[in-house]
Order: sequence, then structure tokens, then C-alpha cells
Amino acid sequence: MIIEFFNYALNGALLGLLYSLVAMGFVVIYRASKVFNMAVGEMLVVGAFLVWWAVQSRGMHPAVGIGVALAISVLIGLAIERLLFRRLIGESVFSMIMVTIGLLILMRGLVLLIWGPQERQFPAIIPLAPLIFGELIVPRSLAAGGIIAVVCAAGLHWFFNRSRAGLAMSAVAEDHQIALAMGISVRRSIAFAWALGGVLSVITSMVYLSGKSLTFLSSEIGFAALPVALLAGLESIGGLLLAGIIVGVVQGLTAAYIDPLIGGNAAAVVPYVFMLVVLIVRPTGMFGWKRIERV
Amino acid sequence: MDPSGIFSTSYARDSALVRTRAQWLALALFGAALLLYPWLASPRLVAVANLMLVTSIVVVGLQITTGYAGQINLGQAAFMGVGAYGASVVEVKFGLPFWVAVPVGGLLAALAGWAFGLTAARIKGFYLALTTIAAQFLFVFVVLNLPSSWLGGVNGFSLEPARLGPLVFDSDRALYHLFLCSTAVMVFGAFGILRSRHGRAFVAVRDDVAAGMMGIDVPGTKARAFVLGAFYAGIGGALWAYQIRFVSVDQFTLFNSIWFIAMMIVGGLGSIVGALIGTVLIRIVQEGITTLGPDLIEFIPALSSDIVFASMNVFLGLVITGFLLLEPKGLMHRWNIFKATYRLWPFPH
Repeated sequence: MIIEFFNYALNGALLGLLYSLVAMGFVVIYRASKVFNMAVGEMLVVGAFLVWWAVQSRGMHPAVGIGVALAISVLIGLAIERLLFRRLIGESVFSMIMVTIGLLILMRGLVLLIWGPQERQFPAIIPLAPLIFGELIVPRSLAAGGIIAVVCAAGLHWFFNRSRAGLAMSAVAEDHQIALAMGISVRRSIAFAWALGGVLSVITSMVYLSGKSLTFLSSEIGFAALPVALLAGLESIGGLLLAGIIVGVVQGLTAAYIDPLIGGNAAAVVPYVFMLVVLIVRPTGMFGWKRIERV
Repeated sequence: MDPSGIFSTSYARDSALVRTRAQWLALALFGAALLLYPWLASPRLVAVANLMLVTSIVVVGLQITTGYAGQINLGQAAFMGVGAYGASVVEVKFGLPFWVAVPVGGLLAALAGWAFGLTAARIKGFYLALTTIAAQFLFVFVVLNLPSSWLGGVNGFSLEPARLGPLVFDSDRALYHLFLCSTAVMVFGAFGILRSRHGRAFVAVRDDVAAGMMGIDVPGTKARAFVLGAFYAGIGGALWAYQIRFVSVDQFTLFNSIWFIAMMIVGGLGSIVGALIGTVLIRIVQEGITTLGPDLIEFIPALSSDIVFASMNVFLGLVITGFLLLEPKGLMHRWNIFKATYRLWPFPH
């Protein structure tokens, strides 16, 4: 009994780390451009299709294929900045959100036009055999995902909080006009944000989909990761790991113990209830910046 | 701006919606055309018009919440769903006539809107957008997970046609005038609310943080805007239920909410007429894509049947991003510029 509980909790925590890796897509773009990117899930699907196309369809060696996919997704990120967000610097929150939603729909349409709605077998980049520690069973891709999430979080945390370039980007996330006045290039910061978002989406897609089937509907993980980003606070990268683990464990335990009782799928909705509570009680999340508004 | 020579000599005239004789004439002709429409158009086009009428009620509601009061709402389809389910339950379980069911659907949606309007009082900007997305997911979850004898679960719900005395509204042609009257009442109501002090409070809350200093109850106004927008969505949803006579959750998804927002953006934020124009234009294009799609596939066999759905997505994405980048004020803004020009002609100012 107790070992089962630990198994559910551990798997939930690792799934939560995967969520936090996805949520990093929100936070990285927000931390460097003050744009809340609703299209994270679609970017992940595009990254996944690029990897699939390079490795499975073109038959490249995985290392080469992943390199090609990374390069193309960086180019897509730069194109998004050039075509859309360069014109929106200093615009209202509503336009920013709606443009990313438009981007979401547009990317979904383009994925459907280019690759169609069929299911595709994603290459098993991370071996499928689960890791077994005594009685604990852990899928290898989730374990690798956990490690990658921690490494990425540490690297990005250092970059945004310690390095000169990262701090300049944090200024962009505070206020576009003030950043411009301080001599920081808002355009370059936004371009970097979307390129980094592209790289992260390729990495995340490999962790999430390795050995699974890929369709355009895989993007739903983007909305599943929203509560994690909000619980952490949109500006905190380190906090994402903790928030991911909390949401993942709660979700895992709900799926294991509460769903059989009510005979429904409560686990899917628990993160959103969490999100609503966080939004109402503490909109800035656990580690977000506090904004003071004066008239 | 009024044409030259038109002066208001009383407050009532100054706040009138229809200001010149030419406008009265245009309105009368337009109304007559709308009344005669079902005898002039094919049954398929009448069905499309019904859909437009129902949608325009929903989009006018969204225009009040988002366009006038500035509260981002990505969950309008969920509120519409609450109205549709509310009306269906009242009709099927309690056997009440449709003229009770439709307002009850609207009120239930308003109640849901009030719950989310309370959060709007505390949070703003994209946090609010996320809350309304959560509303969308919660709605689907609640419907699918309540016992299926309550709300039909995955299978949805079927309704009897609406009845009013001896009249039975069982065809699109029969429903058309009912929907036309409802839409006219709702649109007229929206005009009335928006030029009252509540409407001015909405605009003040949207435009400036100083609204509170002017003595406006800011949280109350935000909540009111949500209640009102959700009420419109609920009425629209209830009428929708009577048109399709079948409700299920996949008619009220986040995707639909985004369509409503696209309609509002195309028409122009902060304009009731804009909401109507946006709804009609987007619905026309949607119908065009769905009807032309199969012909196109027959013509070029290389295209698969998924192209309709895919191109609908591409179109929606392009419309939203394109309008926000190139004409963020929508088509009504262009029209107003044009109107000002022809009224001033031949003078430059």
C-alpha cells in the first residue's frame, strides 16, 4: 500500500517536472518580452513534427536530425518576432494575448495543412524500458525529463538573474518603454525570447513524446502546464520546479485515489481548480514579482 | 458626427440613436428586408441567417464585457453553453414553455458570469484571460462528469421544438422571425444600456485607472459587465439550443470563444454595430469555406478532406493577427472615417 502511494507520488512529481519544462516555455518568453505566449503547446507540436520529419521521415541520424530541428525552430521563433511582435512593442495586453492566440490557431492550421491529422510514431529518442528501483517503477523518459527540467531551470535561472544580458531582458519584461529609455534593445530581447522558446519546445517535445504517437492534438499539454506557470508566478524560473512537483503530485494522487471513487476524470481538472484558487488568492503566484499599482 | 444643418435642441434628441430622416429611411428599408428575407432566400440561407442572429447576440454580449468594459473574456462559449444547457433542462425536465426556458438560460449564464466577474474585480489583464479559460475547461468537466441523467454527459441532450400557443417553431423558416425579434430586442437593449450611466461607467473603467476617483464603483462595474455579457451569451445559447435542438459540450469549446473574439475584432472593439458586422462577415466566410471545400477537393483530388478544417484554422489565425497588427480598431473605424469624409465633402475639415 505504502509503496504504491510512493509510486504514484513519484510518478506524479516527475510528470509535474515535465509540466514545469513545458511551463518554462511560457516563463522564458514572458521574462524576456512581457508577452504571455498562449501558443506554447503549438510550438511544442511544431518542434515535435520537425524532429519527426528530420529523424523518421528523412532518416537522419538522431543527433543530426535534432540539430536540424533546433535550427529550424530557432528560425521560426525569429520569424514570429519579425512578423508579429516587432510591431506590437508597447501595445495593450489584450492585443498581445490575442496575437498569441491567433498564432496558436494559425500554427495549428499550418501543422494540419503540412502534416495532416494522422497519428505519427515519434522516434524513441529516450529508450522506452522503465527504470526500476526496488519496487518503484519509473518511465525512463519522465526520469530524463526531470533531470533536463532541473538542468534547464538552473541554467535559465542563472542567465536571467545573474548575467548582464539576462538582466537587461528582465527590464524588458518590466516595461517596454522604460527598457527602451535605458538603451536596451527591446526587439533583440523579444527575438531572443522566441528563439529560446523554439529551442525549449524541441527539447520538451522529445521528452514528452519520445516513443509515443504524435498528432496535432498533442498540443493540449500547453494548457495543462498553465496552472504550473501561474502557481510559480510568471517571472520565476526556479519556482517552476516546485510548482510543477506540487501540481504533479496532487494530480497523480487524485488520479490514483479520488477518480475511482467518483468514477470520473477529476485528475484532469484539478490543476485548473488549483489555478483558479491561486488566481483569486494570490494572482502573482508563489514567487512572482509584486506589482504595485498607483493611480 | 452629424451632417451639417442637424442641431439637437433637446437632451432626448441629443442622445437619440437614429438622428436624421435618411437614417430612419435606411433603418426602415433594412428592417423590411430582414422581415421579408425568409421568403426571398433558400432554406439553407435561412438556416445560415438564424445562426448569424444567434451568434450576434453572443458577440454583442462579448462586446459589452470586452469591447466596452475592457475585461478580457475567453470563455464566452462556456457562458453560452450554460444558457443552452439551462434552457434545455428547464424545458425537458420541468416541461416549461420556451418563453420561460430562454430567460432562465440567460439568468443561469448571468449567474455563472457573476461568479467569474467577482474574480475580475480582483485581477486584471492576462490573469483574467486565464481565469476565463479555466471557466471554459470547468464547464466541459462539469457537464461530462455530472451523472448523465442530469445533463446528458457525453451524449448530449435533445429538445422538442419551441411552441407558442398554436405556433410550432420546428423549421428554420419558422424560427427566423422569432430569432429576429429576440436579436432586435437584445441589440436595442445593448444600445440602451451603453448610453446610460452604466455604459459610461464601463467605458471609464476600460479607459483609465482614474475611474475610481470619479466615484465609479470599479469592482461593481466590472462584475456588472461580466453579468451582462454572460446574460447575452446565455440568451444566445438558449436560442441556439432551440435551433439545433441538440446540445452537447463540443459545441461550446475554447475554439468557439476565440471565433467570437475574432468576430468582435473584425467589426471593431467598442461598437455594437461592429459586433453585428463582424459576426455576419465571419459567418459568411465560414459558410463559404465549408461549402466550397468539398467542391475544391473534387476539383483537385490531391487535397484531402481535412483541408476544410485546416484552412478554417489558418483563416481564423490570419484574421486575428492580421486585424490586430494592421487595423486594430476594426472595420467600424474605417467606416467612421469614410462617413466623416463624405459628410464633410467638399470641405477638408
